[in-house]
Amino acid sequence: MTVQNPSAATEPGVVDGHEVVSHRKSRPALSEGKRAERRLGLWLCAPAFIVMIAVTGYPIVYSIWLSLQRYDLRFPAQHEFIGFANYAAVLTNSYWWTSFGITMFLTVVSVAIEFVLGMALALLLHRTLVGRGLVRTVALIPYGIVTVVAAFSWYFAWTPKTGYLANALGSGAAPLTDQWPSLFIIILAEVWKTTPFMALLLMAGLALVPEDLLKAASMDGASAWQRFTKVMLPVMKPAILVALLFRTLDAFRIFDNIYVLTSGAQDTGSVSMMTYDNLVKGLNLGIGSTMAVLIFITVAIIAFLFIKVFGTAAPGSDDGGKR
Amino acid sequence: MATATTGRKVTWGVLDLLVIAFALIPVLWILSLSFKTKDTLTDGSFWPQQWTLKNYADIFQTSEFLRALVNSIGIAIISTLIAVVFGTMAAYAIARLEFPGKRLLVGLSLLIAMFPQVSLVTPLFNIERGLGLFDTWPGLILPYITFALPLSIYTLSAFFREIPWELEKAAKMDGATPAQAFRKVIAPLAAPGVFTTAILVFILCWNDFLFAISLTSTTASRTVPAALSFFTGSSQFEDPTGQVSAAAVVITIPIIIFVLFFQRRIVAGLTSGAVKG
Amino acid sequence: MGKKRLRGRSPARAGALLAAGLLTTGLLTACGGSSGLTINVYYSPEDHFQTVVDNCNKAAGGRYRIVYNKLQRGADDQRIQMARRLAAGDTSMDVLGLDVTWVSEFAEAGWAEEWTGQNKAKASAGVLQGPLETATYNGKLYAAPKNTNVQLLWYDDRITPNPPKTWDEMMQMSRQLKDAGKPYSIVFTGAQYEGLVVIYNTLVASLGGHILSDDGKSVVMDAGAVQALQLLKQVSSSGLTDPSLTNQKEDDVRQTFQRGDAAFELNWPFVYASYAEEKPKDLSHFKWAVYPEAKAGMPAKSTIGGFDLAVSTLSKHKPQAFEAALCLRSAENQKYSAINDGVPPTIESVYHDDTPVNPSEPASTANPNMAIKYPMRDTILEALKTAAVRPLSPAYQNASTVISKVLSPPSQIDPQQTAQTLREQLNDALQSKGVIP
Repeated sequence: MTVQNPSAATEPGVVDGHEVVSHRKSRPALSEGKRAERRLGLWLCAPAFIVMIAVTGYPIVYSIWLSLQRYDLRFPAQHEFIGFANYAAVLTNSYWWTSFGITMFLTVVSVAIEFVLGMALALLLHRTLVGRGLVRTVALIPYGIVTVVAAFSWYFAWTPKTGYLANALGSGAAPLTDQWPSLFIIILAEVWKTTPFMALLLMAGLALVPEDLLKAASMDGASAWQRFTKVMLPVMKPAILVALLFRTLDAFRIFDNIYVLTSGAQDTGSVSMMTYDNLVKGLNLGIGSTMAVLIFITVAIIAFLFIKVFGTAAPGSDDGGKR
Repeated sequence: MATATTGRKVTWGVLDLLVIAFALIPVLWILSLSFKTKDTLTDGSFWPQQWTLKNYADIFQTSEFLRALVNSIGIAIISTLIAVVFGTMAAYAIARLEFPGKRLLVGLSLLIAMFPQVSLVTPLFNIERGLGLFDTWPGLILPYITFALPLSIYTLSAFFREIPWELEKAAKMDGATPAQAFRKVIAPLAAPGVFTTAILVFILCWNDFLFAISLTSTTASRTVPAALSFFTGSSQFEDPTGQVSAAAVVITIPIIIFVLFFQRRIVAGLTSGAVKG
Repeated sequence: MGKKRLRGRSPARAGALLAAGLLTTGLLTACGGSSGLTINVYYSPEDHFQTVVDNCNKAAGGRYRIVYNKLQRGADDQRIQMARRLAAGDTSMDVLGLDVTWVSEFAEAGWAEEWTGQNKAKASAGVLQGPLETATYNGKLYAAPKNTNVQLLWYDDRITPNPPKTWDEMMQMSRQLKDAGKPYSIVFTGAQYEGLVVIYNTLVASLGGHILSDDGKSVVMDAGAVQALQLLKQVSSSGLTDPSLTNQKEDDVRQTFQRGDAAFELNWPFVYASYAEEKPKDLSHFKWAVYPEAKAGMPAKSTIGGFDLAVSTLSKHKPQAFEAALCLRSAENQKYSAINDGVPPTIESVYHDDTPVNPSEPASTANPNMAIKYPMRDTILEALKTAAVRPLSPAYQNASTVISKVLSPPSQIDPQQTAQTLREQLNDALQSKGVIP
């Protein structure tokens, strides 16, 4: 009687209200049941669907419209339709490409480090013989903590005189005033904050690796490294790709850490930071929207690459069928 | 044999300690800063040389922080409630019903989970300006619900798939009304999943910074993460390091509580939603 | 609260507030008064400004009550805060404390009400030329100058008995001090923000150059502007500045000097008030001089700073707002602010006013007058006579963002190339077409 397959739920009679409907009308019961089920399904999903569309779909269409206009709130008299001029302005601007490059760099480096550390942490959380509960609890703290709080902690730690880390570098060191040290600190803050999340996603993949397969490999004389690369990684591949996809897209949106640590000074700004500046400092809705659209397109391309090229199974895309 | 096990235990123990240190040091540091006196704030030592509660007294004396705290709590709770209710409805439908548009909803949720929030900031700013929602609670609650929904739909539908629904049928056969069957059988089974989802959603909303600084402008709706960068210090010539740290510690408390008491659930929630799909 | 917050907002907004505000009402009751009319002043944090507000509330005799809403410390943050609320149609702001560089922008955007008739006459009576210019846009007055500001050279006469006259001399002295193992550094605002633009603007003006044309509509970047780049680079890469130069804003600069880690400080006069408060024992050695010359023989033209008070066009109580603004910057209150917060007055007569705070008693440290609390007044007046006003352009903010970005870090400047970059980017910035870095 154990039902793991969600399709079992479609069995008529399970859904509340089904009987009521089928008594009222004299259509064939199965089709009537299906119709009631469809209706219920639609009604149940409607609120979530409407909110999500209203708060993302409409604004995106609206921002495409805004991006075609010259619209600076400080120059209300100059509001006009200008076609793709904003795109030309942004795409030929060296600052845009600098921050685009910085964002890419931060994304790739921090996700790569997080992956390695996350895998190690996942193995530790999965295998450790002592204090598993304690380690798991503590490792969750970075995941849960407010990013801005963590960012302030790093900021103060690297502030000359105030911070223990800045002082450890010797007097006169002010790492947040140079581009490379700043980028390093931003990556550190990102890695600290998100490695536990990466580890949890990977741990779920680890749980899918059959113990007996590892034992068998061990019997055959495979070394630990061979067991890891030949047995575990292939089984974990779907989980790994999902974890990388999520973290890559998340890392690409980086904003909080940069805002607190450098505010984007010394060429450390991400595209999110730049969009925020153009909107909030510049009050330039046209340019701001253009950037919003460009970021949206970039994210779509990254997701497409992951799904089509690497064959990441998007979670939910096959309704729990894959295990 | 015994020594080998001890040796391995020691190795694991050392690794555990490394992880614990890595995870805790930044938290302990901001905690330590929040207890430092004005004069020792810039001494650079990791532990306070002189302890004080003045920073906490300072932030609770200004209405600025209190209001931000009320905003943070109120906005996060309301968003969580709505997102979990809507999410439960949708997740139930996804897990249990066949209907057209199911894939569309799942796809849309996925899309939003990957959506760059910053792309919404500019249009939402202008839309909310026009609707009068700018700098209000609903102005933040709406985007929070939106970004919490994918998380809650995924996590909940994963939980719902694990529920043995045939128990409901069995209860009905035993003469329970549908309401009784739901209340006595299904609700207790579903509650842990819903609760876990609520925690994850709350953490998500509690954490937000980008919307909080872009769509608010006054204490009417500014949440604590945004308010941190608005602290002025008790005098014009003083950096508000101590107060920022104290406020940061205050908003970390709920997170620590969640992590301490619900570690297992958070782990289960995060892993089920994202991987088992 | 209720009444004040909801008044004048759209029904949708009111509804939204009601819907969501139940939880906050308890806390919001603190703001808004029982006496009815409230004038909300948004102004940067100034330690004793509340007393000024209290004075004006007394003068208003209950007709309205002024509430001082403290903005953040950072100038950018202050501007963003006000601009964003005005753009969102917020009617609860009445008097706006504008940095001198924002007046044109707020005027052009239609956020600042023009001053006319009696109010205009009162706001400009006896005001120094430079400060008055900062409040004027297209020949119209959009704000009342509250306080001006001009950077001076600060030094410790135990380290350097005589201040340097020129930048070259200053660097030479600094190098000697460094070799002698004494505090040597030259500290100024080198972070990527407005402060860096102030330094650059001063150098450009002191070298007789121009960044923008006088009407603020086109880019000039002449020989003087290029020489200024050269000088800025030379100083920043000399090893004579503070290691955290590129992260230092006004207050960091003040602290560095006050800690004894620097020999020369280029900063606004507020540093005197805080030095007096925090290091009273050493105060007699804390000295000042006019800004060093960039070119020997040409008096330096230090950039004018300060604040002007504007009335929001969205204010529901404009007549009272004008009156309140005038009171907050009256000669009496300017003197009070100068003595207590170190902000230089805009009304010339205040500088020569030697009546102490309490006129019935003789002047003393407990009952100070301008001469006691503001000994550098003559130097400030002298500097103000030659001071440079930053370009009056509604796109100033864009231009300034571009300048601070292109000049950061100052040690990496390549004069010719940087000048070319500035020419191109400033051109875009002035038309508000380009991207803000």
